[in-house]
Amino acid sequence: MKINIEGLLVYFPYDYIYPEQYSYMLELKRTLDAKGHGVLEMPSGTGKTISLLSLIVAYQRAFPLEVTKLIYCSRTVPEIEKVVEELRKLMEFYSKETGESSNFLALALSSRKNLCIHPEILHANIVVYSYHYLLDPKIADLVSKELAKKSVVVFDEAHNIDNVCIDSMSVNITRRTLDRCQNNVDTLQNTIRNIKETDAAKLKEEYRRLVEGLKEANVARETDVYMANPVLPDEILQEAVPGSIRTAEHFVGFMRRFLEYLKARLRVHHVVQESAPQFLKDVFDKVCIDRKPLRFCAERLRSLLRTLEIADITDFSPVTLISNFATLVSTYSQGFTIIIEPFEDRTPTIANPVLHFSCMDPSIAIKPVFERFQSVIITSGTLSPLDIYPRILDFRPVTMASFTMTLARTCLCPLIVGRGNDQVALSSKFETREDFAVIRNYGNLLLEMSAIVPDGIVAFFTSYVYMENIVASWYEQGILENIQRNKLIFIETPDASETSMALEKYQEACENGRGAVLLSVARGKVSEGIDFVHHFGRAVIMFGVPYVYTQSRILKARLEYLRDQFQIRENDFLTFDAMRHAAQCVGRAIRGKTDYGLMIFADKRYARADKRGKLPRWIQEHMSDGSLNLTVDETVQLAKHFLRQMAQPFRQEDQLGLSLLTLEQLESEEILQKITQIAHQA
Amino acid sequence: MDDQGCPRCKTTKYRNPSLKLMVNVCGHTLCENCVEMLFVRGSGNCVQCDTPLRKSNFRVQLFEDPTVDKEVEIRKKVLKIYNKRDFDFPSLRDYNDYLEQVEEIVFNLTNNIDVENTKQKMEQYQRENRDVIQRNKAKLTREQEELEELLLLEQQGNEQRRLETLQEEQRQLQAKRKNKQALLDELERSQLPASILLAQHKDRAAQLETQIEKQKQTVKPTTIFSTGILMGQTVSLQPVARIVEELYHYKPLKIETYGPPVPELDQLSRLGYLNHVRASMPQDTAGGYTSGLACHRAIQDAFSGLFPS
Repeated sequence: MKINIEGLLVYFPYDYIYPEQYSYMLELKRTLDAKGHGVLEMPSGTGKTISLLSLIVAYQRAFPLEVTKLIYCSRTVPEIEKVVEELRKLMEFYSKETGESSNFLALALSSRKNLCIHPEILHANIVVYSYHYLLDPKIADLVSKELAKKSVVVFDEAHNIDNVCIDSMSVNITRRTLDRCQNNVDTLQNTIRNIKETDAAKLKEEYRRLVEGLKEANVARETDVYMANPVLPDEILQEAVPGSIRTAEHFVGFMRRFLEYLKARLRVHHVVQESAPQFLKDVFDKVCIDRKPLRFCAERLRSLLRTLEIADITDFSPVTLISNFATLVSTYSQGFTIIIEPFEDRTPTIANPVLHFSCMDPSIAIKPVFERFQSVIITSGTLSPLDIYPRILDFRPVTMASFTMTLARTCLCPLIVGRGNDQVALSSKFETREDFAVIRNYGNLLLEMSAIVPDGIVAFFTSYVYMENIVASWYEQGILENIQRNKLIFIETPDASETSMALEKYQEACENGRGAVLLSVARGKVSEGIDFVHHFGRAVIMFGVPYVYTQSRILKARLEYLRDQFQIRENDFLTFDAMRHAAQCVGRAIRGKTDYGLMIFADKRYARADKRGKLPRWIQEHMSDGSLNLTVDETVQLAKHFLRQMAQPFRQEDQLGLSLLTLEQLESEEILQKITQIAHQA
Repeated sequence: MDDQGCPRCKTTKYRNPSLKLMVNVCGHTLCENCVEMLFVRGSGNCVQCDTPLRKSNFRVQLFEDPTVDKEVEIRKKVLKIYNKRDFDFPSLRDYNDYLEQVEEIVFNLTNNIDVENTKQKMEQYQRENRDVIQRNKAKLTREQEELEELLLLEQQGNEQRRLETLQEEQRQLQAKRKNKQALLDELERSQLPASILLAQHKDRAAQLETQIEKQKQTVKPTTIFSTGILMGQTVSLQPVARIVEELYHYKPLKIETYGPPVPELDQLSRLGYLNHVRASMPQDTAGGYTSGLACHRAIQDAFSGLFPS
């Protein structure tokens, strides 16, 4: 259908539209008009992707000078494939309606086999790729530097974007890395010696270029200034490489010294935490290495590898890693911390020294994106509370809105189980983890659920260790046996192939009616990527609140930094992180308006206002006050009632007028009024 | 590092993990015991390369590669002499060339290439640039002290902030507890019905909440001026040079007209101009208006037509 959104003609490739899709497109248009950034939360399974694409494509066609490109960033390859499918449908609709074949070019970059040649990217109207191509400074430089300013960037499923930013700027160095780097450095030295005897001209040429201060010959660019590399601030990029690392031998000697210093640092017997400036001071004291040559390390190494014409770059990844680390540590004085651990906390007897150079400030990696592009949209199904994202990513959005699902029948049923049948409080708090009664009550909950819920149930635990403990206790108590009488049990493990096998068999069991329970972990692969539509997930049970391991030193440093810089309390941040994972997990079960599912939060802490308030709006509004602290029996009652209701036949005509609209209904006055009320400004 | 052995007594290192390896100026290692044994007279020859060595030159090995130890030693000595900084040079290119020179020297000395010439070059440089070296030495120590001060201040600031937030949280917790206790006491003692007391308590709790919220929003006090200088830091500035300049004297504007001079404001009534202007009413004069003002302006307008074009 063709819709009119505040004067813009939008081609929507389906005959029916959800009211919240219209509302979403309205907010999006306003954000683009204001040429600013936006944070939009829309529940999963409500056609977010197609709304985004149709509105932005329509905007591009209407104002080709305002928005030249759409850059769509997604997390995983299956998501990229989904986006490309929707885009194809949209383009077919366009060509059917307007009669002309569209001259839109869309490009999708996924793995190495699908990489494009960069001139094409300049002409494409729509580019689809993964976050890392835009956020990771090492990759962004190669792939994204030619993108024009007047583009719209969309980050889909962006609830974890702060972790992505932090990971892209963090470096972990182990003893093994250093040993391999030593080999690399030796190889480099030998190669240089050989080349000097055979073809010294190449090295001389490189030397001359470095003396003159010329950068590597860049391809002539038609577009304006390329995206600044956050690894090196602009002024430094224009400076010449310092004289102490001009010749190849001096540079190799320099790397060798730095490497030896790192090896010496890793030989500690206790934990060391220091800031980047302290580290640099120590480097200077011990091996007389200045800050400036460290900054140019990465660039100098690249130039050297190119001059020596090394064929297989991947062999040199350890030394590249060390040079990246050197550049990062010398560039940023704030927002990073260095933690050296002689062994991992959980295995104190095994000597495994690691140097963690961790970024504590996600805004550093994403700042060039916000500054360079005129509109950046961050969207996901679980972005609550909305105001935390602008604070930790340090940007000012013109729109922050949260949308709910309009439902003809309430197809989700969130329940908070706080007590067992013996009134023992249920919780995954550290103190109560070994409590026999709590474990037995959890087992009872799962057992009862497996008796009444048809087809598949997915259960999420807070960690692998916790899951293993509980499952072992259940086995001893005989609960597993009872569950197996109702449904088969599958379990997720840290191994990828085992998990995919378990997943396959789980789906088979759900298909043929035997029914199954999948036990998995809240931060594992299953919770991040797999959808449990329809009968694959009729109930989702969250055992406990999925807090991250709070004793990790990196986390503690990060929390301290957030408290000092952004005035975010540690507790608030930990709760926010735990709740967004919980919301992600339960959101797996609902993938559309005809889908229905139970969402069971099995922990008494969920009833507290500070945790409940951090759930997305579209889950919160279906929680009634009476469902906040149920016992297992009451839960079973409510669940039975809900399931029986949902099992009644439900046709599309029932939805029309309420949660599904045709074009005529859309244009009626009352619907338009209702739509403007859907968007809740945060 | 632990799998390296002393080149002389080989086995002793593995059996005795607390044993240290020592490095001398020739770049070869010896374990502590061997050093004691071989250099009992204070000087001797290196086991591997036979260069004459002194016992006092042995330093504990920090790095796995003894050549790196040797290089770092040499570098430190060289840098004591070649300590020019980037502002000592007219251009960046010159500074970079100087840096490259220094690297060459260190490289030569470490790999025993052309040692004599290099040493001579160093001595010559030292003689020529004695005063620059001295000056930079003094500057360096001063800078290091400032840096240490800054780091100390930063640490103190962090500690303080942490303590403050802890105290704040404690206070809030106590306030909440007091509130609850007050409610219980009132329910016990007071004559008012329970519903009113509960309503009062709710009000007080809400007030407390808003107070806490407001505190959370308080802006972080600034610790740094816009120039980048920390507040409270004593900045030693160079004395400002005294600049003497001429004082400005006002000279009124003189314009040449080719006609009679414009009459002054006080001459207007005498010369009879005021007769042609509406007299000012008492209300006008209250604000300070006189008909002379309007007249004077009109006359100036008229006389301005006399200016040469």
